Amino acid sequence: MADSAEEFEPLFDYSRVQPPSVVCLDDEDSDADKSPAPFTKRAKIVNPAATSSVNGNPKEKQVEIEDKEEDWLPPPPKVLVDAENRHVEDSTLKELRLKKQELASVALSAKNLLREVEESAKVDVGNTSMDPLEPDLDVQTPVASKERAKIVISVRDSDKEELKQYRLFVDDKFERLFKLYADKLKIDPKSLVFVFDGDKVGPDDTPGGLGMEDDDMIEVNIKSS
Amino acid sequence: MSGGIARGRLAEERKSWRKNHPHGFVAKPETMPDGTVNLMIWHCIIPGKVGTDWEGGFFPLTLNFSEDYPSKPPKCRFPQGFFHPNVYPSGTVCLSILNEDSGWRPAITVKQILVGIQDLLDQPNPADPAQTEGYHLFIQDAVEYKKRVRQQAKQYPPLV
Repeated sequence: MADSAEEFEPLFDYSRVQPPSVVCLDDEDSDADKSPAPFTKRAKIVNPAATSSVNGNPKEKQVEIEDKEEDWLPPPPKVLVDAENRHVEDSTLKELRLKKQELASVALSAKNLLREVEESAKVDVGNTSMDPLEPDLDVQTPVASKERAKIVISVRDSDKEELKQYRLFVDDKFERLFKLYADKLKIDPKSLVFVFDGDKVGPDDTPGGLGMEDDDMIEVNIKSS
Repeated sequence: MSGGIARGRLAEERKSWRKNHPHGFVAKPETMPDGTVNLMIWHCIIPGKVGTDWEGGFFPLTLNFSEDYPSKPPKCRFPQGFFHPNVYPSGTVCLSILNEDSGWRPAITVKQILVGIQDLLDQPNPADPAQTEGYHLFIQDAVEYKKRVRQQAKQYPPLV
């Protein structure tokens, strides 16, 4: 038994799962049962139980974890517990199983929480990267994400010092940026003139077509008509 | 060879210009008909300052960099016959920061040169005349000088 235990140890890091459950169990036993006799008896049994779980459980535990990683569906742990209980009638072992189950459920809920956080983070990231796809072409300060088809362009107002940065696709027509900009200023897009490197930018031009690079700056002039 | 330094520096200047430059200014290296870029010659546009007689004019300026740049300043030229007390008949700008023996420092950027020349437009330096017509009108006939400046601004309307 000791041999097989040693065999399993490298496969599963038991120090993480086992010690707390054992300690917890001991504590509860000493609290719940005041008679010293069963305590000593149990104390003896606890160890074999632990070793037996070392022998028997690592496989099961591993399987469980693998399942979780694959489809995130927790396999019903009760089946395992029942199967175990048929062989081992001892109440301490039952308790041990229950504790294990509890721990497992705690671990699972923690994992679920983590997963939720991860997913929400993914959704956030997805949102930001999806925004330029929307017909409205959202304005935002770019988060240094330089994907192939996208480009960051700074726009300078004639009367403002600061640059506003827009992220658009290399093959996006500037028409969209014009409209967005005019809507923001609440003026007719026709009264806006965009200039890149001294040349007027047409609505059908694209950043790629004009040979623009990341962080290139274009200027806006407002025609006084 | 210092030529490597000049081109490296000019490439950097161009890079930073593309990212940010003062409004209305243009500065780009010459592009050959075959599409290659000549970093040693830049075609620029200096806008006349708003609120001055130069307003509305977009004045073309050419920067000629030598292989000794940035040890030596670029030669800055307006079109021939440009009306300004400190511009030679050839169009070359006379300005202390563009003088190798005077105010030029290798750290001066293209941006600073162009803004410096824009400042010079409305604030000529009568102590350093470079053409007779502009100089004489400036010190003798303020009304006529003003008229000529406004007239010239109209000759260089915005290209866009």
